[in-house]
Amino acid sequence: MAQRQRRIMVSAVLLFGVAAGMVGASFAAVPLYRMFCQLTGYAGTPRTENITRTDRVADRMVTVRFDANVNSKLPWAFQPLQKRIEVRPGEDVLVHYEATNRGGTAVTGTATFNVMPDTVGKYFNKIECFCFTEQTLNPGESISMPVMFFVDPAIFDDPETAGVTTITLSYTFFPVDGPQPSGAAAAAAAAAAPARAGDS
Amino acid sequence: MAYGAAVAHDEHDHHPHGWKRWVYSTNHKDIGTMYIVLALIAAIVGGVLSWWMRLELTEPGLQFFDGETQLYNAILTAHGFVMVFFVVMPAMIGGFGNWFVPLMIGAPDMAFPRMNNISFWLTAAGLTLMTLSLFVGAGPGTGWTVYPPLSSLAFHPDASVDFGILALHLAGAGSILGAINFIVTIFNMRAPGMTLHRMPLFVWAMLVTAFLLLLAVPVLAGALTMLLTDRNFGTAFFAVAGGGDPLLWQHLFWFFGHPEVYIIILPAFGIISQIVSTFSKKPVFGYLGMAYAMVAIGVVGFIVWAHHMYTSGIGVNARAYFTAATLIIAVPTGVKIFSWLATMWGGSIEFKAPMMYAIGFIWLFVLGGVTGVVLANAGIDFALHDTYYVVAHFHYVMAIAAIFAMFGGWYYWISKMSGRQYSEGLAKVQFWVFFIGVNVLFFPQHFLGLAGMPRRIPDYPDVYAGWNFVSSVGAAITVVGTLMFYYVIWHTYRYGKTVSDANPWGEGATTLEWSVPSPAPFHTHEELPVIGPTGHHHSKPAE
Repeated sequence: MAQRQRRIMVSAVLLFGVAAGMVGASFAAVPLYRMFCQLTGYAGTPRTENITRTDRVADRMVTVRFDANVNSKLPWAFQPLQKRIEVRPGEDVLVHYEATNRGGTAVTGTATFNVMPDTVGKYFNKIECFCFTEQTLNPGESISMPVMFFVDPAIFDDPETAGVTTITLSYTFFPVDGPQPSGAAAAAAAAAAPARAGDS
Repeated sequence: MAYGAAVAHDEHDHHPHGWKRWVYSTNHKDIGTMYIVLALIAAIVGGVLSWWMRLELTEPGLQFFDGETQLYNAILTAHGFVMVFFVVMPAMIGGFGNWFVPLMIGAPDMAFPRMNNISFWLTAAGLTLMTLSLFVGAGPGTGWTVYPPLSSLAFHPDASVDFGILALHLAGAGSILGAINFIVTIFNMRAPGMTLHRMPLFVWAMLVTAFLLLLAVPVLAGALTMLLTDRNFGTAFFAVAGGGDPLLWQHLFWFFGHPEVYIIILPAFGIISQIVSTFSKKPVFGYLGMAYAMVAIGVVGFIVWAHHMYTSGIGVNARAYFTAATLIIAVPTGVKIFSWLATMWGGSIEFKAPMMYAIGFIWLFVLGGVTGVVLANAGIDFALHDTYYVVAHFHYVMAIAAIFAMFGGWYYWISKMSGRQYSEGLAKVQFWVFFIGVNVLFFPQHFLGLAGMPRRIPDYPDVYAGWNFVSSVGAAITVVGTLMFYYVIWHTYRYGKTVSDANPWGEGATTLEWSVPSPAPFHTHEELPVIGPTGHHHSKPAE
């Protein structure tokens, strides 16, 4: 009987552990999903870390379009300084966005980003981007913000992306208030929303 | 499945009386009874809410919700939550599970009787909070899926959604504790000789259900906690503005939500297996296949969640995978359906009320299962998503199918629980009224869905008027059938024939609950029964 009592307590403790573990796992979904997206470029998450380069340059060009959005709570004007450019995969490209604070107070904003179509995320490498940090603008202030990127020439080797002729890089600026996003990583997790809007 | 002769039972009375007997109860039968009473009360709440919606939908235009459409949203939300968490789960798992798992495995009680008590009261508190949420602010108009951003502060600024979240937290905690209790009981407290492969299928169903609860409900708890802190403490798990992602909620919710529908239907499978075997006077056909089909359904249930999210923007490869994985579920469910039919085949079938409900269950479940196979296809789902076709599908396959199993289980076991037998004539009339009612109620909703009528909307164009009217007529018949069931309960306790036999069903009823006296005494199996190997299909010893 004592042995059965022991078995009962051991199994109960184990099962409580499983339940607690599942709660933990649901919270772990946040960083795991983020890591998964960054690693695989899933859902149009551009590569921002562990970028590997080769000297290879593609013999074809691809069009990159630039998209800019601002959350309605942020009194900013935000637009790309070029609508579209032709890019040769393998070559670094530098482009600029411009943001102006039209409000009466200094505001800090941060941008989420992704690329369309969803499948090209892993071939779109961002070397430098204003979206990696928060931006604070004084009333009336205007800044020009650089983005440096290159498209991996391997994009033409992958049957899923070989036919891509146009990539859209999209940003959405949000105000930074109570919740502090954890930089680019949080942005990557949020990347899907504008992408879906472009999908339909 | 014969488990040997009846054993002596304590008849003397040493248990608390009055309100203490119930409020402080640590007795699995009393707690089971309280769960069933809770479900009967909650069913009235959930039923009134659905009747209110169906009345609104009887004809085009806004009858009761003109300018109050948020109230309609809140009612449909509460209807879903109450029916899932406070009717079906308490009745099947807390009610029949508590009553009959210990009786069927030859255990004197659950492993943790006090935890059993707190499980019940957490569930009861949850129901109270859920009902209160309807009266707070504008009410929780989120649907039972509680998707952000609709459930965020921006669209539900008052505390109603928080009430709903806390209600689910309480009910969820109760479910997790209950699940642990069942697993520990079934693994450690079986009578000598009752190996896993000799357990009645109802016990198998409860074991798989308990594992699903243990693995799925904590994920809901985690997601709800995130939503609660998003709403009240400025986190941004689901708020895009703070770097969160509303899709994360959908993934977490459905990782819970899909197993949840199996949590609802697996105990029903167990009940139906017992009834079909009893009234066909044959052992269940393919016992091991039946047990492991439930295990397979439980396992596969965890890897198909995104079939609820086909239109959320997931990639085409993900849709292909989730379509294929979902279609696979048809295989183990097919095993179950055909095994029930094979059990009846060549059996000496007695059409008592429980058997009528079991056959009714099979009909409803197959019909809802077939539309499930249709909806599993991502391509078709793009057209049918969020239409009444989906409403018809899930009400057939898990809502009224589950109710049929509950009614069948009640008729099957009431003599054991109360010591009185229901009136067969009344029960059959109740069955036919209810069966006709629910089919007239839900079958036309397939047509409405195929014609494109969106769900969760209180008004519709005139083109949908005809079938909506038919559906409402079916709802009226269903109301009569439901009220008749409550009448049958009253009639049974007031006028039901006293049952003194341990086993009123004869040779077909071979499980251990039929070896104890009727009504089952307060304490049973104090001397453990010994189970010998019987029947050709479980001669193989397990473990």
